[in-house]
Amino acid sequence: MKMTSMLKYCISCLIGCLSVCINLNAQETDPTIPDSLVVKNKYGLRVGVDASKLARTFLETDYSAIELNADYRLTYRLYAAGEVGNEERTTSTDYLNSTAKGTYLKAGVDYNMYTNWAGMDNMVYFGFRFGLSNFEQRLNSYTIYDTNNTTWGQTEVLESKDFKGLSATWLELIFGFKAEVLNNLYIGINVQLKGRLSETEPDNFENIYIPGFGRTFDSGKFGVGFGYNISYLVPLIKKAKK
Amino acid sequence: MKQFIYLFLIIILSCEKDDVCPETTQTTPRLVIEFYDLTNPDELLQVPGLYALGLSTDGMEIPINNEIVTTRSSIALPLKTDATETEFILYKSYDIVDGEVIGNPDKIKVTYDSKKVYVSRACGYITNFVIQAFVITADSDQWMINSDILTSEITNENDIHVKILH
Repeated sequence: MKMTSMLKYCISCLIGCLSVCINLNAQETDPTIPDSLVVKNKYGLRVGVDASKLARTFLETDYSAIELNADYRLTYRLYAAGEVGNEERTTSTDYLNSTAKGTYLKAGVDYNMYTNWAGMDNMVYFGFRFGLSNFEQRLNSYTIYDTNNTTWGQTEVLESKDFKGLSATWLELIFGFKAEVLNNLYIGINVQLKGRLSETEPDNFENIYIPGFGRTFDSGKFGVGFGYNISYLVPLIKKAKK
Repeated sequence: MKQFIYLFLIIILSCEKDDVCPETTQTTPRLVIEFYDLTNPDELLQVPGLYALGLSTDGMEIPINNEIVTTRSSIALPLKTDATETEFILYKSYDIVDGEVIGNPDKIKVTYDSKKVYVSRACGYITNFVIQAFVITADSDQWMINSDILTSEITNENDIHVKILH
């Protein structure tokens, strides 16, 4: 008795499934109803580190930095994204040697322009960031610029001077790629174009390098940067494309 | 995409010049002296065979770069950027005859404060000066009789800083 009711149940289930399948097939032929062969996309928090900054920290004597990045998928194409980092950089020219160090935060969105094939999760994206940096600069040494110095010789000033409590804000346009190389593991590369909104001008000096923004240019408020990221996705939910 | 990369390269390359100090940059200014007629103090008066030498702290005569004997009514002298005073010898009618220097040397001493002024990442800092005192050392055969500080702040070489009557 029990066996037969079980069997009945299974058969009815099977019939139910089949009827659904037949329904699906029927739907595909009808162009007004969207395809419901569902492909689910991974949504979650992706966290990573900038590998190029780590590599430069080991390879270059005048540079050290760490940057953590994260993004969170909001919709099929849109991600909330941000970076936080700490950077120290010594800049040396013919007449000047200075070190900038500080922490920065960047927050914004990324928009994925790439339409993935089913089951893939790669990005070709552009994005925007608002950046904020708190830093200090140390003027290590400088040589007085004097083209008439052949008479008395060059004067080199070796006593260092600190410029503390500096800050800067900027807007950033990002363009980049992210590819899933292993399950949930991504590598990405991006370039950044930045425009400074504000900065604390040090007295009788200038911001040579701004952590997070990069080096400044005499010609204006623009800056450039690049990143090479390795990140891991913590998948939280799977959602179908709407 | 390609355009974006080009734009990126242009920005990087075009800004490399930031790291080289352009020669047109205002350098550490020299002290500019003009010579006027003692009998008519508003009129410039040329000094025949004017020639200047620097004096080091231990009294050695130091030749000044690009300084040549010429008849002129003004001269620009480099001040020491690591000291608060510099001495010079100014010759009138300088000449060398049979290996002997002839002419009339007078000694001047400039005392000043200096401050470092930031220019740019490529040029760093220049020095500006504020003249505190300008003294002509008295001697029996003095050709520079009187002096007047016209502009005590030495920030460029377009200003005349000191006027000398002779």
